[in-house]
Amino acid sequence: MIDWQPLLLTLKLSLITTAVLFFIAVPFAYWLAYSRFKIKAIFEAVVSLPLVLPPSVLGFYLLLAFSPANAFGKFLDHYFNVRLVFTFPGLVVASVLYSLPFMVHPIKSGLKNLSPSLKEAAYTLGKSRFTTLTRILLPNIRPALLTGIVLSFAHTIGEFGVVLMIGGNIPAETRVASLAIYDEVQAMNYHVANMYSLILFTFSFIILLAVYLFNHHFSKADPLQ
Amino acid sequence: MIKFKAHKKLSSSTGPSQLDVAFELEQGKLLTIYGSSGAGKTTILRIIAGLTRAESGYVEANNEAWFNSAKNINLPAAKRSVGLVFQDFALFPNLTIRENLEFALQKGDDKKLLDELLELMELQQLQHMKPGILSGGQKQRVALARAIVRKPAILLLDEPLSALDDAMRYKLQDMIIKVHRNYKLTTILVSHHLPEIYRLSDEVICLEKGLIQKQGKPSVVFTEQKISGKFKVTGEIIEIIPADIVFIVSVLCANEIIKVVATASEVKELRTGQKVMVASKAFNPVIIKLGDS
Amino acid sequence: MNTIPGKIFHIITEDNISLVKVKAGDIIFTSIVLDTPGTSPYLSNGNSVSVNFKETEVIIAKTWPLEISVQNRVQCVIKNITHGKILCQVDLVAGEFNIQSVITNNACQQLNLNAGDKVVALIKTNEVSLSYND
Repeated sequence: MIDWQPLLLTLKLSLITTAVLFFIAVPFAYWLAYSRFKIKAIFEAVVSLPLVLPPSVLGFYLLLAFSPANAFGKFLDHYFNVRLVFTFPGLVVASVLYSLPFMVHPIKSGLKNLSPSLKEAAYTLGKSRFTTLTRILLPNIRPALLTGIVLSFAHTIGEFGVVLMIGGNIPAETRVASLAIYDEVQAMNYHVANMYSLILFTFSFIILLAVYLFNHHFSKADPLQ
Repeated sequence: MIKFKAHKKLSSSTGPSQLDVAFELEQGKLLTIYGSSGAGKTTILRIIAGLTRAESGYVEANNEAWFNSAKNINLPAAKRSVGLVFQDFALFPNLTIRENLEFALQKGDDKKLLDELLELMELQQLQHMKPGILSGGQKQRVALARAIVRKPAILLLDEPLSALDDAMRYKLQDMIIKVHRNYKLTTILVSHHLPEIYRLSDEVICLEKGLIQKQGKPSVVFTEQKISGKFKVTGEIIEIIPADIVFIVSVLCANEIIKVVATASEVKELRTGQKVMVASKAFNPVIIKLGDS
Repeated sequence: MNTIPGKIFHIITEDNISLVKVKAGDIIFTSIVLDTPGTSPYLSNGNSVSVNFKETEVIIAKTWPLEISVQNRVQCVIKNITHGKILCQVDLVAGEFNIQSVITNNACQQLNLNAGDKVVALIKTNEVSLSYND
């Protein structure tokens, strides 16, 4: 029988990361989509970095930053008594940064593709920016939101380099499924590695399939999308 | 009373120009802004609604300052009592027709007006549908009803009927007249359709490259030369064909084609697509009864 | 359209109809309009207006005097005639003004009209309209 712990940990990490990411990415994507601020290009580049950098590079710098031996890590340790290296919260922070483009990009392009008159119409009907965002803009980019959520979720499931660098490989704390597979392969337990892999494979395939089916149905049902 | 004065740089496909416009509009009147594309018509509406900021000037509605560059006042769009009908209607696809109208209500607003508008605009049958499946004319009616739900101090219509066929256009002109009178609205319409302007407006402003060229009653503004003839219609030349030594000029007025004989020297100054007035003395036309009414 | 500038010198108004006399050079034109000095301020003695009438409404008479009800009678000389298959255009000169008439070829032949002939151009009162500029 396989150890379910790593799979549950992966699930927990993915869910928490996706939830945190959603609430960070919506205002951020809104800003990127509508701001006329010139330096926004810098932020766009930073958001996209995880797409091109090896995960180990990101993990390495986060490890340095979070380490209690360095300024930021010391500050967190000293004032908040929070330690992010080799802990689950550290894993969440790293995953959020790592999956940021997967959530921000679909939401940003969703917002940009909406006719600007929708937003303006809501304003002229006396509605605030917040009401306009929650009642008009977000409901009309549902496919983009769903894409962002699912891609971030699936991407977090598949993380390896970052979690290895920042989390170590501590059972029940930071040993997620992808690390467990690696360990089992190292230990020549191909059968267990295969079980983990098959579960991740099937699970990922099913959620992606569900998204594409849903988005396809959605765009058919509503010609305005 | 609406008071408007604005200065703003315009950039259009025909090159940059300056919008420099000032006008006043009395309560309950309907003003049309007429002009070629890029003249700054839509920009005026957007400045009034608070969606575009003028470089200098003021917007005042019923003695309330919405914008005043000298006093550094600029109310956000949501704080201005305007109803704007967008060229693309801007209906919210995620809400039903009724929800689109309800969205415009403020807390504590009476829903009676909403039901009244649904009935007036003949939308009760459609009220639980989403906007995606509606025809152009139906969307137009929803957009108009939604803009009026708040009983705005000023109603702004941005070429609302340009996408419609003639029959639908006529019907919607009726509706605009009806709501404008019923709810005693002060309305600004952007249009380049002469028959529509004649039917709807009390006053018209001709805008060219950001400047007011002419202003006044439509019958005065669109008549170059004031002529004593009583039988006058305006229209567009659709065809000029030779007939012996003279020419027959066909003019489309509303939905009728009128044929007028013109000499060679007159035709020299005419071309198809030109807006013209056809005039005759009141003594010439004959009246023939239609049907047996 | 024939357009001849002149000045109003006489107006008679009854109900909503006015009979307006306009002097253009030595020629006097009479127009009847559904305006009154009350509704149309341009109707005032001494005001400059243009007298307008369509070429096809200009009748040409050769022998004169003639007992006829038409009030506008202008002594002219034919300058030129342009013939079509059915119609012809007669260019007339009356003092300093040019007037054009479009009549049928048949009529032109019956009257045996030629350049240089002295004729009278006739226009019914109700075919003459007035226009003014700001």
